[in-house]
Amino acid sequence: MRRVAVTPVRVSGAALLAIAAAMVLSAAVAVIDGGGAAIGLLVASLITALAGAALFYGSKVSPTADSALAFASVAWSWVAVSVAGALPFLFTGVIPWIRFDDALFESVSGFTCTGSTILSDFGSVPQGLLFFRSMIQWLGGMGLIVLAVAVLPALGIGGLELIASEAPGPTADRLSLKVRDTARRLWLLYGAVTALIAACLVVVGMSIFDAVTHAFTTVATGGYSTYGDSIAHFDSVPVEAILILGMLYCGANFSTHWHAVTEGVNAYRRVSEIRWYLWIIFSAFALLVWVNVGEVEWTQNLRESLFYAVSLGTSTGFGTSDYIAWMPAAQVMLLVLMLIGGMSGSTAGGMKVLRLQVVFRYAFRELLRARHPRAIIPIRMGRTTIEEQIATKVVGFVLLYLGLIVVGGVVLTGLGVDPVTAFSGSVSALGNAGPALGEAGPTSNFLVFPRVGRVVLMSLMAFGRLEVFPAMLMMVASLRGVSQLRRRREQFR
Amino acid sequence: MTPRPPVRAAAPALVQRLTVKIFTGSESLIQRLSKGKIESAIGVTVGAVWILSAPLFFVCAIADFLDGGPDYLPLLIAGLAVEVAGLVVVRLSNFPSSLPVARLFAAVFSGALAALLAVTVAHLATGVATTIDVALVEAAATITGTNASTIEPESFSLGMTLFRALGQWLAAAAIIVVLVRVLPHLGVGGLDADGGVATRSARRLAPRSGSTMARLMTLYIGLTGLFALAYFAAGMPWIDSVIHALTTLSSGGFSTRSGSIGSFESGAIEWVAILGMLVAGTSLPLMFRALRRGDLHRFVRSVEFRVYLGTVTLVVVSILAWSEGLPTLTSARHAIFVTTSAISTTGYLSSNVQNVPFGGEALLLVLMMIGGMSASVAGGFKVMRFMVLGRYIGRELRRSIHRSAVEKIHLGRSSIGETALARIIGELFLATMIIVPVVLVFSADGLGVEGAFTFAVSSISNVGIAFGDAWPLGHLNSLGAIGHLAAALLMVVGRVSITPVLVALGGVGEPMQRSLRRWRLTRREGSVR
Repeated sequence: MRRVAVTPVRVSGAALLAIAAAMVLSAAVAVIDGGGAAIGLLVASLITALAGAALFYGSKVSPTADSALAFASVAWSWVAVSVAGALPFLFTGVIPWIRFDDALFESVSGFTCTGSTILSDFGSVPQGLLFFRSMIQWLGGMGLIVLAVAVLPALGIGGLELIASEAPGPTADRLSLKVRDTARRLWLLYGAVTALIAACLVVVGMSIFDAVTHAFTTVATGGYSTYGDSIAHFDSVPVEAILILGMLYCGANFSTHWHAVTEGVNAYRRVSEIRWYLWIIFSAFALLVWVNVGEVEWTQNLRESLFYAVSLGTSTGFGTSDYIAWMPAAQVMLLVLMLIGGMSGSTAGGMKVLRLQVVFRYAFRELLRARHPRAIIPIRMGRTTIEEQIATKVVGFVLLYLGLIVVGGVVLTGLGVDPVTAFSGSVSALGNAGPALGEAGPTSNFLVFPRVGRVVLMSLMAFGRLEVFPAMLMMVASLRGVSQLRRRREQFR
Repeated sequence: MTPRPPVRAAAPALVQRLTVKIFTGSESLIQRLSKGKIESAIGVTVGAVWILSAPLFFVCAIADFLDGGPDYLPLLIAGLAVEVAGLVVVRLSNFPSSLPVARLFAAVFSGALAALLAVTVAHLATGVATTIDVALVEAAATITGTNASTIEPESFSLGMTLFRALGQWLAAAAIIVVLVRVLPHLGVGGLDADGGVATRSARRLAPRSGSTMARLMTLYIGLTGLFALAYFAAGMPWIDSVIHALTTLSSGGFSTRSGSIGSFESGAIEWVAILGMLVAGTSLPLMFRALRRGDLHRFVRSVEFRVYLGTVTLVVVSILAWSEGLPTLTSARHAIFVTTSAISTTGYLSSNVQNVPFGGEALLLVLMMIGGMSASVAGGFKVMRFMVLGRYIGRELRRSIHRSAVEKIHLGRSSIGETALARIIGELFLATMIIVPVVLVFSADGLGVEGAFTFAVSSISNVGIAFGDAWPLGHLNSLGAIGHLAAALLMVVGRVSITPVLVALGGVGEPMQRSLRRWRLTRREGSVR
């Protein structure tokens, strides 16, 4: 069989095979539960596996490798898995075929670890499907490409470029000389933390099913819950404490965690970003407590403020109460947290703390330059000097990020959504946080947005998870790839 | 092609000669007076602002006296106090022989603060503001050209109405002075939004900066007179015409009535205001060149002007498309009015304020952020800066694929240097860093999420109107004292631009900064990155 030498096709095929495996696992859970949906999940997995196998075995890696190809590979594979991820919702009948876009929304929200949902009656959703829903967040959290590079030697590619295109943050850390080892170590740590959180949740009284699904979505900082009222359903301080610790851990850089595991906790001290990350969350917590004094009872205030500071500061989006009833200042603070997000190299979304640091230093450098016009002032992070090229790239990213929020907000308001819901929805979707303000609060669902609005939100989620640049360059790179193929064919003739 | 000789009319030439005389006279007066022992640019600037703003008090006192109002005596006394204070400060100060950039920044900021103080005194002396925070925010709205107030305009005497309108007009005139005389030395600031393109174009109007300033001032005065006549011809009473002309051309937005321009319920008046606001948001050097040679093609050739008008058209069409029912001439007028009011940062209201769709609100907010053209008297971040940012993002996207590509950013025939680019971006980030805490203060002090955010954007862009529960002009009334002070700060920061303010404030804490820097250098940095 003649294979097409297109890397994005091969990578997409590999990603689809991983999703098919997740569907089979979910079908097994459905069989154990006995609540139905096993057949629907198996049919979906069969279709996905066939498509994945066709793409994977029908293609090979392109002879040339560059960043454009990496961007295109990552972006197209995410498109493929998002479409495939919608199939179980349709085949199980939870979402009717006529609302295919809603199934796609749920799938995109899952893979991008956003956690926004259009489901309202969770009692009628089979457990197998709820498991699948949590699992796609878990898979999306660390990244399917990272997984593919780690476990599929047959993929035949392993550039750090590819991982960097998918990894959250401006740079990707190399944990080993071999990229495959880096990917393996990341997934090993990811799996271990998931198992630890699940075990802790079981110990404090959660059922195994709830513990595993919530561990999946905590580690991925996704925020899908198996209950409509999210974590408020458990009304348990130990559960909330475990989830807070889990979210805090997973909102931090996994490479730093690996270094800490291998070299000791001093590894954390070497990274200034972690100090900023913790300070932002702590300051937000203190501010929320202060603003809510007199509005919410003291112990409740401490508990809810801490939970939401961590939940939205790590862009997880779990809920324990309806913060829409809080004071406007508290809601503004939560919106700022959604905007910033977690650390680079973590599973969290948002703009990332590292970028905020660079932007701060960049702005203050300009202030210093205004005072001393001839001074040459480098941008420093700890003892490291940030290269000018990286700094301009970060600044470009932040500007584009803010611009996308504005564009998303304007389009949503144009569709008739009120400005607070629209702009906070835009911030939440781009930051992969989950809940928003206004009508799209933590106790509501995203059906408050019109149908076209949900498509806009889906695009924002994808832009946010793929860190804007790869998503925007997907089309450019793909067009370039198509023209290269055509040129090669013409040369061959 | 040989350029056409300029067409000289008698009246503008007279105004120009008069303007030159006023400026040279004022300059030589300040130079003669400032022979004190303390070498301080701040002292000379503060004194000059007070001495030169005192006539405003006297003119308004006379107007109030002739109208039989109650405020002529307080205005007269306040004016005298300001004049005396100015004389004392100038007599004690001496202009320094060398002026580093940091001190020039400090002088610009202290000039704005001096004007703020003088106008605050007037508000307190006449009793229109009973508390200091209200007086400060009213004064900030006056000197920054923001249409935000806690007081009903109908409750002001003629003297105070004229004082506030003239205050907005003179503050915009001061911007022209800063544009021509100060900004070329600084390279940043509200008007020099494009990294020097605007000031370079302004400097090219005449070989001497004094002549350039006089030409731009003549244009400004002439346009104000023209629009006063236009308002009058459209059916506005003559006092209202003068006051509205003053606040239209300065993009200030104060009105004689609570319902702003809309309370006149006249389509003709609204069309005049629309044109006036469009003019206020247009670059003064561009207008001067186009009008002097009768070469209206200059407008078409200006890429910034094309984007400015294109943005207005796009937003008007969007508002009409999102509104209920088919567009009519009246609905089109309202849409154009509210759009020009936002982009020129004037803040006037038309007779149909309730009918803005959600999408329109969002677009108007974006327009407030953008503001007018660079080298105009409008507030906001300026069209040119947003164009530069757009090109910058495009370049970074291209660089993601072509890592080593070297690409310069061009706007029309001008290229923007990397230093200017970094300044523009730094300015945007610093402004965002100021806005976020102020939004928190507003939302903690009585405004809802939407009101807090939109009023913060509106304040820093010097517009005044904002959305939310207090739409269109009730936000200041919903805030407490801390909110008022935060709003005043944002207005001043928006007008002077953030860099001079922070550099000036940085100068105050310089010894502390020095010891902090020393401590940081001696300390071993723990974190690797």
